[in-house]
Amino acid sequence: MLRGLYTAAAGMVTQQRRHDTVTNNISNLNTPGFKQVNAIARSFPEMLIELTGLGEEHNKRLGAVNTGVFAEESLSIHLQGDLSATDRASDFAIISDIDVPGMTFDASGKYVDANGQVTFQPQIFFTLQDRNGETRYTRDGKFTLNNEGFLVTGDGSFVLGADNNPIQFDPNIAIDQLILGANHQFIDSVTGLETGEQLLLTRIENPNQLVREGNSKFQLVGEGNVTRPVNAQDRFEVRQGYVERSNVDPSQSMIDIMAALRAYEANQKVVQYYDRSLEKAVNEVGRV
Amino acid sequence: MNSSMINAMVSMNGMQRKLDVLADNIANVNTVGYKRKEASFEDLLTNMKQQEQAFDQPTRLTPLGFNQGWGSRLTLVQPDLSQGPIQPTDNVYDIAIQGDALFQIQTPAGNRAYTRSGSFKMGMDAAGVPMLTTAEGYPVIAQLPNGEEGPVRVPDGYTLRVSANGQIEGVAGDGVTAVPLGRMSLVQVMKPGVLTPVADNLFVVADGLEPEAAVRAVVPNDTNRISLMQGYLEQSNVNLTDETTELMIVQRAYQMSARALTSSDTMMGLANNLRG
Repeated sequence: MLRGLYTAAAGMVTQQRRHDTVTNNISNLNTPGFKQVNAIARSFPEMLIELTGLGEEHNKRLGAVNTGVFAEESLSIHLQGDLSATDRASDFAIISDIDVPGMTFDASGKYVDANGQVTFQPQIFFTLQDRNGETRYTRDGKFTLNNEGFLVTGDGSFVLGADNNPIQFDPNIAIDQLILGANHQFIDSVTGLETGEQLLLTRIENPNQLVREGNSKFQLVGEGNVTRPVNAQDRFEVRQGYVERSNVDPSQSMIDIMAALRAYEANQKVVQYYDRSLEKAVNEVGRV
Repeated sequence: MNSSMINAMVSMNGMQRKLDVLADNIANVNTVGYKRKEASFEDLLTNMKQQEQAFDQPTRLTPLGFNQGWGSRLTLVQPDLSQGPIQPTDNVYDIAIQGDALFQIQTPAGNRAYTRSGSFKMGMDAAGVPMLTTAEGYPVIAQLPNGEEGPVRVPDGYTLRVSANGQIEGVAGDGVTAVPLGRMSLVQVMKPGVLTPVADNLFVVADGLEPEAAVRAVVPNDTNRISLMQGYLEQSNVNLTDETTELMIVQRAYQMSARALTSSDTMMGLANNLRG
């Protein structure tokens, strides 16, 4: 069988994955704290081609060939999204630009040193506890108070406080009277006293270790010492009354989706050309 | 079916619902005491295509597995209880609340409902006794002089007088004689998320919850900056500029999702036509 037929088919599948990924980005144009995802394609491992069948002495290497492509990674781009003012006391947005000594991050949030070692900029996240008691992270700061006074996200996950317990206020407290003060402490604006609750913000050294889970939550998969609570040296800010908008670029997405569609079409054409070659081989080569 | 298609379809559903919320707000731009609704989006459940250990190449940036999202959905639909502008009407039965509070209303089913719309009138109960009601005829609840809660009944020949701190009096025709009729019973919302808007500009506490969990009684005074204004009406807090801007943003996103849907349809067409 012609080798390229499978290569073109693999190309179609890969472009389909790219298309799916871009569609998901477009779907989340208005999701607070959403981070754009890029599908990264990779060629199949190289294989060597050798000319054989002409006797041992005539065998020779023809070279290497890649026989296909696949969507290898879905990489989230953890860049800062724009802030938009909502004037709601229950909305919070993180603005972070973390400094790492000796590194200057470029516009895409990475630093490449002289040896080609790539380092991504650490990011700050709100810390959540989902219904199964697992720790999750999010940049979507649209919270609400439930009837027991817990600060929760839209899907009911608890927002964790600095003491690693879910943040819970006196059930008689109204969300509008809470003010986020210095050190991310909540202050009761009616009494002027601290409520004793403090947001737990986590610094994640390599945000690529986060796996998207849905409902605006991320799960940390990497092992080792990769997270820590923030400290005073970290350059970031949490703003109340704002949300961080999705960082998806609509024009780029539109271009990507068109590119994916056309690349899919090109691969489809290649499959058809191979099919036509096969047709010739089957119907015409043997004709007398 | 390809997943782009499902993704775009699910998200267009969510955006359609957001457009509905915005349309509702815009339709009520002149409704007295209307509180705008707002909603947010959340990305949908993500699944992971498992990858074998061999995929863990040195250049790989993320943990193993290829993530696939399934669109977005609407979440956190809740009323925005911020103050609306106050307009004078010179009607004694029009009462506006300044500050964070709601009137208490009794529904025909006997439950409590809450509203910011102070466009009241003199209605009648089943026995034909006049009492203060909403425009739809639901009695307005007050703390009566005898300590009970009930509808405000203004004696014949008396007019209604409501002071800034919520005290209700009936004033006789001479303009001097006044009889105390009680105090407006107002509540403050602690958790806007559990308030559900229902018809006739009313809010109720979501099913299965005790009203005490969501609202608490409040008396207007200087410290909580709540006051009542007789002869005024609170207008809708919908800001047409904000709503229209939001409408444009959502509409464009909807349009882009529709394009993604067309595009995935074209892809399916191409796959169908592989064999000429």
